[in-house]
Amino acid sequence: MLALTRKAGERIVIDDNIVITIVDIKGENIRLAIEAPREIKIYRGELYDAIVAENRQAAVPAKDGILDVLKDIKVRKP
Amino acid sequence: MLIRSTRFGEIEVPEDSKIHFPHGLPGFPQEQEFAYLPSEPDNPFAFLQSLAEPDLTFIVVDPFAFFQDYEFVLGDQIECELELNDANRPHIFNIVRVPDNPEEMTVNLLAPVIVNTKKRIAIQMVLEKTIYTTRHRLFPNGFVKQPGKGGK
Repeated sequence: MLALTRKAGERIVIDDNIVITIVDIKGENIRLAIEAPREIKIYRGELYDAIVAENRQAAVPAKDGILDVLKDIKVRKP
Repeated sequence: MLIRSTRFGEIEVPEDSKIHFPHGLPGFPQEQEFAYLPSEPDNPFAFLQSLAEPDLTFIVVDPFAFFQDYEFVLGDQIECELELNDANRPHIFNIVRVPDNPEEMTVNLLAPVIVNTKKRIAIQMVLEKTIYTTRHRLFPNGFVKQPGKGGK
């Protein structure tokens, strides 16, 4: 891992197409501006972790009976 | 197309069941090819079966069947990457988590799956600045009450 020290207004360039600018530092909060190609997905870390955790739990095989339960559910579209 | 699923066995599905996830799913970055297996007509549930991993099956649901008011902004990035526009509306579904007591199953409204149904490509996006969470009960009153009236 690379650790860098930066000041407000300074930038970090990753590869040829990602630029992270330190916009502002106020107390505990650092505001970043990130320029990246749209296929690069950018998430808040804790939000991403929550989705990863939820997906992993959803992937746990459900009990066999669940198929029958779901089969009987009918919902009329509004 | 013949697919292998631990849950369903070997089954033949239409070629257009296949959905490509160029980024995989959060937590499953390598899983990029899935088959979308709908249930009976009128049933809002469906299955997302990994084509690479027979053990990996997600239960997904049409969110609008349970949460009529569910709404969010796709954003330019998703629209561009999935090539969506007014003439090519996305298909949207959400992943369901089924705990030991199935009546307590929840749906992840924070991270909807957005599908371009023509190109069969999809992304699970993470909503920003939203009231939705990863766990909304689908049957807050259990199965005995009328399904579909749940939500909120």
